[in-house]
Amino acid sequence: MAGEVGPPSRDKERDGPVVPLRNPGDAMSVETEQSIATMRMPAGLGGLLPALTLIGLFFVVPVLALLLRSVTDPAPGLQNYAALLGDGTYARVFFNTFLVAAVVTIVTVLVAFPVAWMLAIMPPSLASVMFGIIILSMWTNLLTRTYAWMVLLQRTGVINRALMATGIIDQPLPLINNLTGVTIGMVYIMLPFMILPLVGTLRAIDPMTLRAAALCGASPFQAFRRILLPLSLPGIAAGGLMVFVMSLGYFVTPALLGGTSNMMLAEMIAQLIQSLLNWGLGSAAAFILLIATMALYALQLRLVGARRATGGI
Amino acid sequence: MLLDYDRMGWLKTALLGFTALVAAFLLLPVVFIVLLSFGSSRWLAFPPPGWTLKWYQELFADPSWLEAALTSARIAALTAILAVLIGLLASFALVRGEFRGREILRGLLLTPMVLPVVVFAIAIYAFFLRLGLGGTTIGFVVAHTVLALPFTIIPIATALEGFDKSIEDAAIVCGASPLQAKLRITLPSIRIGIFSAAIFSFLASWDEVVVAIFMASPTLQTLPVKIWGSLRADLSPVIAAASSLLVGLTLALMIVTALLRRKFKT
Repeated sequence: MAGEVGPPSRDKERDGPVVPLRNPGDAMSVETEQSIATMRMPAGLGGLLPALTLIGLFFVVPVLALLLRSVTDPAPGLQNYAALLGDGTYARVFFNTFLVAAVVTIVTVLVAFPVAWMLAIMPPSLASVMFGIIILSMWTNLLTRTYAWMVLLQRTGVINRALMATGIIDQPLPLINNLTGVTIGMVYIMLPFMILPLVGTLRAIDPMTLRAAALCGASPFQAFRRILLPLSLPGIAAGGLMVFVMSLGYFVTPALLGGTSNMMLAEMIAQLIQSLLNWGLGSAAAFILLIATMALYALQLRLVGARRATGGI
Repeated sequence: MLLDYDRMGWLKTALLGFTALVAAFLLLPVVFIVLLSFGSSRWLAFPPPGWTLKWYQELFADPSWLEAALTSARIAALTAILAVLIGLLASFALVRGEFRGREILRGLLLTPMVLPVVVFAIAIYAFFLRLGLGGTTIGFVVAHTVLALPFTIIPIATALEGFDKSIEDAAIVCGASPLQAKLRITLPSIRIGIFSAAIFSFLASWDEVVVAIFMASPTLQTLPVKIWGSLRADLSPVIAAASSLLVGLTLALMIVTALLRRKFKT
């Protein structure tokens, strides 16, 4: 079964990277007649060859082979997709995944905006301290951060004890092995990805526009709602979309902070493949995740262009 | 006056207070884990009843931790070298080349950053099972290089876009060969980009969990796989000790980056 899948798709893909290279090659020769500088540039397109080979052979081919497997394993047909979409248990996983991604995105945007706002106008010395904290949290090993939250959010963990000691609650809150835990852990991980690009957007806004609004009699609230917010909306949309897409496919944090009764999509895919060895169903679920992600990525490219969409590291 | 730091009044106080809270939230797990690793309670009671180094002793007494760390370091170093080289070549083509479909190719090369890792993980896992590369160093390095490539292309291409090509042309006019001009003029000028690319791609491999979980074999496991396995078993303080060492490494890396950036800029 495995043998039928691999070779045909691999051959098809081997042509993949070559085709786009041929035409640009022609275009280059026209180009060289026009400019000496271009002629001096050796291997203009050849430079892309190693990257395209790597991505073509070890990214595009395996992913396409997986897609093929979702419609051929165990038998040709769409029964894997029918099983996934028709079953209440799987529907619940899809619902959980989109719900968590949406909540995480909203919370992240609400928390990140004021911080990015301050970072954009703070004195540089103060801002660099905050940037340092953001980067320390971002660069710290993912499992380390998740482990810390596992301990912090436990029933007998620091947060529950602190809340009980101050008398806010008298029973420990269930903060882990449920969607609350997943949301807290995910917002923690996503915040830097929202704050850093937003600072760029906010810094690009001319403060004079707000001064003009104030001179024309706008109250601070009006200036915020009619000027600052609309001008930063492209940054919010781009960052929010990125956070949403990343949250949809996140594996580690939901697997460790979530419970077994409310699994998310990535964990379900891993389980279908690793524990249940159900390759057909697993690859079909993976493909649904891939389609959702790519559709949103395309939307984001529309919004902000390829550079900004993946920038902001 | 919403973007005027000195004239925001009470709003500035409120927003600064909120920013400080977020800073505390971001620092909380990092500081907590370091404190925890020195606590004497096996059950992770906090604040700990006493302070001890025994978790670090346990960590170093178990050779499998060190072995996993060395495996991770080896794979991450190879990944960084490969990804920077491939990314450097690709960046030159993407920034300097004039051809149709450039943005599409750029998008394609950056896709591994966007696609959920779990999808790539099972795809490459199945592929390598067939090629017999599962659980090998080569398999790890190839898979991690795919994931790290976008993290090298973005900083190098950005640096290259900011570099004035006429300086390179001037060197050629003065008799340097195109290759000499690139090696002695262009590459030193974009070294910040190359350096960032090296750090990012190293970290992309060093911290990578999902592909590693699928690819690991009993004889070859990286540090994240080792931590993952221990986490699933119990929340032993030994993990806190290992994690604190990783936090230390991150801090060291940040300081080196900051120092080098300052040096490059002057």
